[in-house]
Amino acid sequence: MEKLLEIKDLVVHYKTSEFTVEAVNNISLSINRGESVGLVGETGAGKTTTALSIMQLIADPPGKIVNGEIYLDGVDLCKLSQRELIKIRGNKVSMIFQDPMTSLNPVITIGEQIAEVIRLHNKVSRSEAQMRAVDMLNLVGISEERFNDYPHQFSGGMKQRVIIAIALACNPELLIADEPTTALDVTIQAQVLDLMENLKKEFNTSLLMITHDLGVVAEICDKAAIMYAGEIVEYGNLEHIFNKTKHPYTKGLFESIPKFDEEVERLKPIVGLMPDPSNLPDGCSFAPRCPNRTEECTKGEIPAIEVEPGHIVKCINFIA
Amino acid sequence: MDSSMTAKPNSKNKGQSMDVLRRLFRSKGAVVGLVIITVLLIFAIFADFIAPFGYDDQLLSRRLQAPSSEHLLGTDDYGRDIFSRIVYGSRTSLLIALLSVAFSSVIGVAIGCIAGYYGGRTDNAIMRFIDILLAIPSILLAISISAALDPGVINLVVAVGIGAMPPYARIVRASVMSERDKEYIEAARSIGANDFRVLIKHVLPNVMAPIIVQSTMSISTAIITAASLSFIGLGIAPPTPEWGSMLSAGRAYIRDAWWVVTFPGLAIMSAVFGFNLLGDGLRDALDPKLKN
Amino acid sequence: MSTILEVKNLKKYFRTPKGLLHAVDDISFKAKQGETLGIVGESGCGKSTLGRAIIRLHEPTSGEVIFDGQDITKLSNKEFDKVRPDMQMIFQDPYSSINPRMSVSEIISEPLIIYKRFNNRQGIENEVARLMDTVGLARRFANSYPHELDGGRRQRIGVARALSLNPKFIVCDEPVSALDVSIQAQILNLMQDLQAERNLTYLFITHDLSVVKHISNNILVMYLGNMVEYASSKDIFKTRLHPYTKALLAAVPIPVLGMKKERKLLKGEITSPIEPKPGCRFASRCEYAKEKCSNEQPELIEALEGHFVACHYVKEINNI
Repeated sequence: MEKLLEIKDLVVHYKTSEFTVEAVNNISLSINRGESVGLVGETGAGKTTTALSIMQLIADPPGKIVNGEIYLDGVDLCKLSQRELIKIRGNKVSMIFQDPMTSLNPVITIGEQIAEVIRLHNKVSRSEAQMRAVDMLNLVGISEERFNDYPHQFSGGMKQRVIIAIALACNPELLIADEPTTALDVTIQAQVLDLMENLKKEFNTSLLMITHDLGVVAEICDKAAIMYAGEIVEYGNLEHIFNKTKHPYTKGLFESIPKFDEEVERLKPIVGLMPDPSNLPDGCSFAPRCPNRTEECTKGEIPAIEVEPGHIVKCINFIA
Repeated sequence: MDSSMTAKPNSKNKGQSMDVLRRLFRSKGAVVGLVIITVLLIFAIFADFIAPFGYDDQLLSRRLQAPSSEHLLGTDDYGRDIFSRIVYGSRTSLLIALLSVAFSSVIGVAIGCIAGYYGGRTDNAIMRFIDILLAIPSILLAISISAALDPGVINLVVAVGIGAMPPYARIVRASVMSERDKEYIEAARSIGANDFRVLIKHVLPNVMAPIIVQSTMSISTAIITAASLSFIGLGIAPPTPEWGSMLSAGRAYIRDAWWVVTFPGLAIMSAVFGFNLLGDGLRDALDPKLKN
Repeated sequence: MSTILEVKNLKKYFRTPKGLLHAVDDISFKAKQGETLGIVGESGCGKSTLGRAIIRLHEPTSGEVIFDGQDITKLSNKEFDKVRPDMQMIFQDPYSSINPRMSVSEIISEPLIIYKRFNNRQGIENEVARLMDTVGLARRFANSYPHELDGGRRQRIGVARALSLNPKFIVCDEPVSALDVSIQAQILNLMQDLQAERNLTYLFITHDLSVVKHISNNILVMYLGNMVEYASSKDIFKTRLHPYTKALLAAVPIPVLGMKKERKLLKGEITSPIEPKPGCRFASRCEYAKEKCSNEQPELIEALEGHFVACHYVKEINNI
């Protein structure tokens, strides 16, 4: 398969006058055409920073891409000018943000908001853009009578559909979805996930799904990358991650979740807390909480080990 | 007490106010404002040592003298040293301004808290009364009140204070309303806190920031209002030096002796300027989110 | 075990500009001492209002709440002050449910001061230290302020505050929804330990079905202010009878491979809870809905032993 996105050695820091937050530490990740990759991690793991880096939307200051390359279709996004980036954002790469309540402009009708994106990236007349906007609305299951309605007239799930319509309006090659269903109820979440999956199949769009919910990953992703303290600690296809878990953190995540399908008397939480990203420990960031910790874990760089083809673990004492 | 419990004495209360102070000192405007205010405060407190003459030392032979090395800012029509009178005048002006702000903030905050916390009819009744007060220009209100009362510091404070009260009530009411529905208020009620405790211990500390800013800003308004009242003869009775009445007295000589009106005018202006700069700086320092 | 709480026909209506909002409409149930009753439903179903109405944070519109043998809705405020220490609450959002201007020890000691449990400073301080130990909060945080602490520690403060008056019954309103899974597991374990030690009764409100399954003995499913199903946790997860419960449980993404099932998507618009028309409130989204459903409100019936359902066609749908 052809690589669409390739992130190499990305490092992103946020600098304030007092300290430097090491949000993303040397991550590499690639996504093939038509593939869905889940980026999983807890609050502060650096998932959103990674996504914003791909979009080149890191607020600078305080943020800065310190190192790394991000290739989209062979072009390094970090080297493009603002003008070139504008042509790519919303066109080749789109992003869906977490909160459907705040990512729509409240004073513009939803139809116009979709048409605006189309006109921004394509040389089409106003009426043509509107026609295509109507098509997009139909596609996401909103009747075209609602073209002239304002965001506040829609429920949360419907708003998220509008946002998906906007994101897909220019038929992007890569869709980045940052917790697109976290703010939604489960029955609505199921509808939105179903919609995303169908659209992805139809347009062969690649998807980077940012989520903290391993259930969502199991439902719509092909591969998963587990992030912890700014690093990808485990990467592989779903079989690797779910059934042949190697990294102690990934295992800890699974054991923390109350099981839906079996009886568990007591959960096994990961002890301790996520380290302060402005003061990361030496060696493996997970070592202080890790049951498999040894002396070596706290010394030097932890290498990424390919335990079997396509399954990479950043741990020297991974689970056998 | 267990020793480990005292290990970290009040780290953040200090930390938080230190943060505010640090941000405040980073803003140039606020520092200029603070310097002006400090100078005025020094004038007011140490007037007896700073002023070269008494505020009512009349020497008719020296009437309307231009600024010179002996009389830094010249003399007025009674031959009194203008610099000395400005220094003593800062006492009156600051005292009235501070007292009236204290008066208006206490009443305004109380009214705003009650209106915002209880809402409904109580709120409606209180806010319509505030609307009426706001509909009357505050200077007109102050004029009518001080005309009705005898001249004097306390009455001037009341007159200026009532006119300055409505903005407090409005600001506090709005802040209280947004705090009222937060979960920590519900949590306080769930452990049995009564309304008074909820208001004093929980709501008030969380709406302090806008009150502090408004107080600083309204000191300058109070200085102007007090000066205006004195200007038209409703404020402090002569010979007590007051910047507004100095202006008023000097107005007749504006063509021949510019210094008689100019320096009291500059004094009022710099005081107002100083408090406004400090207020702006405080607003940014207390809520850094607003700025960016 | 004895029944500690009995709720009979509890209603809570709110006046809104558009009409009367039926937030909680005719809810009845019993809770046994030392057990956990889970209240499940999506946003806006009235589950939080129900919890607040039971401990009179919202005065109920009508109905009875019989706690420890007396109907507390009939008590005067002064009389209720005596009962309140037995009925406490843990709130959802550890970021907004504690006063940002108070230190940890001030927050935990406030109930003790209000109820004058100690007549000297020393007694209060010792009790606060003991409570902090109980909830696993290091004593060095006594003088810290909430913003210095992470979500998990803040929620421990909330738990300590609720425990300080030594209650028998605690309403837990989404106590772990704002937390990351590894921290969520820590808090859930803590709550289970406390329950076992102190024979506490929990009313556990949540939208997270895996959490509710894990912690509850019995589960009550709500939809737009109504009770739709009530049974033991085991029964509900094994044999869900109401069409809404079926859809709700089917919508949960499960983090296990091969569990991916045909999604059963709900269609149709959600009925407004403001001045609702007679009839089943779920009818507009229900695939089994017939004419009777939109005319007549279904009664709660015991469809199987100890398993209550409010649906006209429960027998036909489930072949029982």
